Amino acid sequence: MQLIMFYNRCSAEFCGAFSDEKTTQDFLNIKPKTMSNISKETLVLKRMIFAAILFSSLSIFFLSCKTNSANATSDNKIDTVLTGTVTAELTEAPNVPKPLTYTSPKRVMVHLETIEKVMPISDSSEYTFWTFGGHVPGNFIRVRQGDLVDFTLTNSPDSKNSHSIDLHAVIGPGGGADATATAPGQSTHFQFRALHSGLYVYHCATGPVPLHIANGMYGLILVEPQGGLPKVDREYYLMQGDFYTTGKYDAKGLQAFDEDKALAENPDYVLFNGRVRSTTGPNALTAKVGETVRLYVGNGGPNLVSSFHPIGQIFTKVYMEGGHEINTDVQTTLIPAGGASIVEMKMQVPETINLVDHSIFRAFNKGAIAQIKVTGDENPSLYQKIKK
Amino acid sequence: MKYFLTIFFVTVFFWASDAQKKAVVLSKEMVTVPAGNYQPFFISETNKPVQVKAFRMDEHAVTNLEFLEFVKANPQWQRSKVNRLFADTNYLRQWKSDLSIGESNKKIYNSPVVNVSWFAAQAYCQWKKKKLPTIAQWEFAAKGAPKNLKSPSLTEYILSWNAKPNPPFLPNVKSTYQNAYGLYDMYGLIWEWTSDFNSFIGSQDSRGNNEVDFKNFCAGGAINVADKTDYAGFLRFSFRSSLKGNYCIRNLGFRCAIDL
Repeated sequence: MQLIMFYNRCSAEFCGAFSDEKTTQDFLNIKPKTMSNISKETLVLKRMIFAAILFSSLSIFFLSCKTNSANATSDNKIDTVLTGTVTAELTEAPNVPKPLTYTSPKRVMVHLETIEKVMPISDSSEYTFWTFGGHVPGNFIRVRQGDLVDFTLTNSPDSKNSHSIDLHAVIGPGGGADATATAPGQSTHFQFRALHSGLYVYHCATGPVPLHIANGMYGLILVEPQGGLPKVDREYYLMQGDFYTTGKYDAKGLQAFDEDKALAENPDYVLFNGRVRSTTGPNALTAKVGETVRLYVGNGGPNLVSSFHPIGQIFTKVYMEGGHEINTDVQTTLIPAGGASIVEMKMQVPETINLVDHSIFRAFNKGAIAQIKVTGDENPSLYQKIKK
Repeated sequence: MKYFLTIFFVTVFFWASDAQKKAVVLSKEMVTVPAGNYQPFFISETNKPVQVKAFRMDEHAVTNLEFLEFVKANPQWQRSKVNRLFADTNYLRQWKSDLSIGESNKKIYNSPVVNVSWFAAQAYCQWKKKKLPTIAQWEFAAKGAPKNLKSPSLTEYILSWNAKPNPPFLPNVKSTYQNAYGLYDMYGLIWEWTSDFNSFIGSQDSRGNNEVDFKNFCAGGAINVADKTDYAGFLRFSFRSSLKGNYCIRNLGFRCAIDL
């Protein structure tokens, strides 16, 4: 298996020989001397072929050296043998991909597209969102600990700007950002091993990073532990984010990003899933009395931390900061900017649960409310309103 | 009937191809950008303020019609003949064919040519006995104060351009603002190639540790930046850092310069 990995790495190097930055730089050096007119293309071509041959022979050398030492080690007790290839199911919030059923590591193909798009941010206001997949938050990605994630980032040809991705689940340069600076209409590609289970934020890491995040470029990736998470009845995806617009909350028309408000950390909107009322009223999440609901909750920021609280409920379980430490019976849990949390609740009585950022002006005036509509039979022994 | 149709189509064909022939290539001036100091976007041991010597620069970006003249004179740069190493599959994809921009694309005859690679841009400028401007030249020239801008500040104007999705037809050159040096559309129309577009990513000898490590940038990227509130500058340098010489992009064109 290691052999396969290294083989891939080598062949990636070989393919990249024409296009990586080093080579482009070399071109820049060569160009003024050899390309004084276009008829000398052939000379450059020859040089490139020579470079390619050199690269491939180096790669083979690298391969033969590395295989011996690689066999001797194993990373973090993770089974490194891959047992096939699957394409990750990607979902749009509030939906979550189905729990994974496989029990040994696979190569998981993930393909995300960055899309710049005007969408409503409230009933009267529009905003040019920058997104992973055409919506805020970006697609939910679900993999298993030990999987080798084969990641392709495509930037829509309609984009004005370059984009990239930093997945907090990645151990490697820039969390993937180093490999994914992607110009409009282009694609980039890298692989990483999902070494640690947990719920992780991903976001764009192209400069100016705060602007890309403020425009909505974030989402969640869940790395299931080996054996998966305990089964629950329903799973949902929520992600908080703060937005800074030139006009006030719900001002009419297309709103531009306001740099001064962003630097002052004074947002006009604090939202779940990128829009006022994204998850309330007819769009509310649903559940039935007796069910256990699990929420994967992220906070894209860019600035605010969330005091996440369910009005009329108690979190029976909180996987604190999306890790392994479980707290029980929690009223309000803190979700840092660039962090996440897994929370669970047992539905006891019919009600509408308001999920809020309990920094309460944000919920009252800036949009930070999501709802779960719980239907089923009343249980007066647990709760009843007493009429006079 | 058949004859009639044939005559009709032939007439339409000639009329259509005539329209392109009749279209006038805008006469283009070059303007002088006076010498001055350019403070690089990144500050480092190797990126100190540089003296930019006076140079001449095209007053507007190269248009589709201008580029058509070039590919007519240099067949190896026609869409179907170009070497893929020098231009990817998006090369001139907005055109109807090798030697025709297309009647339905009339609106973009005098718009900047886009979907052109660095190699193609370089070859065009050489053909005109010019060259692509360096990053320092381009950035210095773009700093010229705007003359007729409606926006309250240049940065706001640029950011609002960044926030708008690409229009279906790119506006014509000289349709935005002119700056103090006489240059049109330095911002707000397209991105533009420079000769050394990604040289700031690392020094040519990357074995040392003195490179400006722009790519590991989350917050780290801001450390070496002179003006951390220059979000428009960040977008421009990020865009450049993601480019490769054969990329052809829908909103990336160029203009040429001459050293004095």
